Amino acid sequence: MAHDWQPDFEQLVDEHQSMVFSLAARMTGDRGLAEEIAQDVFLELDRNLGKMESAAHVSFWLRRVAMSRSADAMRRRRVRCTDMWIEIEEGHGATTEDKDSPMGARLEQLLATLPEPQRAALILRYQEDLTPEEIAATLDAPLATVKSQLQRGLKLLRHKAQSHLKEYLRVKEQANEA
Amino acid sequence: MKLEPIDDFERDLRQSLERRPAPPGLKRKVMERRSWLRTQRLQSRSVIWQRLAASVVLAGALCGGWMWHERQEQRKGEEARREVLTALRITGHALNEMKAQLAAHHSPNQE
Repeated sequence: MAHDWQPDFEQLVDEHQSMVFSLAARMTGDRGLAEEIAQDVFLELDRNLGKMESAAHVSFWLRRVAMSRSADAMRRRRVRCTDMWIEIEEGHGATTEDKDSPMGARLEQLLATLPEPQRAALILRYQEDLTPEEIAATLDAPLATVKSQLQRGLKLLRHKAQSHLKEYLRVKEQANEA
Repeated sequence: MKLEPIDDFERDLRQSLERRPAPPGLKRKVMERRSWLRTQRLQSRSVIWQRLAASVVLAGALCGGWMWHERQEQRKGEEARREVLTALRITGHALNEMKAQLAAHHSPNQE
């Protein structure tokens, strides 16, 4: 189908590199691997640039391919959640320092320990601010499954937070008292 | 102790999941790999065209050689046919002469 939209590849990389890298990094828990995935995703975009119909189409396509490539990379590497947590602790020091709230960084670390489908749904929901319908389209999964993964993932994350993030609760409590 | 309401928890989660800045060299690496891949693609296309052209030339040469060979065979055949016809004509002529001589030899006038 003919369309008038003429994308500039370099500009697209500029606009979306943070999104693609963040998705891959949070899915794999490995900065180096995430950078490789991001490069591959953009090179695939270059090959498919003629098929892109709009800026929104590019965003959707990039999210979809980034998530898919990350899942493939995870399957290849067979990274266990516990390993990922260790990698994040060791390799993502800058991320932890960059965060305004150390609790936020802890939450991110806990997120990395969730099962892959739940993590994917939560990342798309809270990083990309997508609706469950958009997440279902991105992951090519039934809407009911996505909603279930969001609920279960959030519940599990809250449970983990309750167990592991005592300081999180303490700070929040102090803030509430103040 | 209870956790805060889910909205606050989700807000914290959203804050903790803000997009990270991409590594500084990511865009440069993508553009370099893209450029390299394009060069490779052009080179491989060029090689394909070269091979195709060489194949066409080779096929043309083989076809021309075969046609030349066929033409030579045809020419040889025609020449052989002409020689056979000439030989037949000569033989026929000789036989006619011999027949005439025999006829003259056995004619009643001579008796």
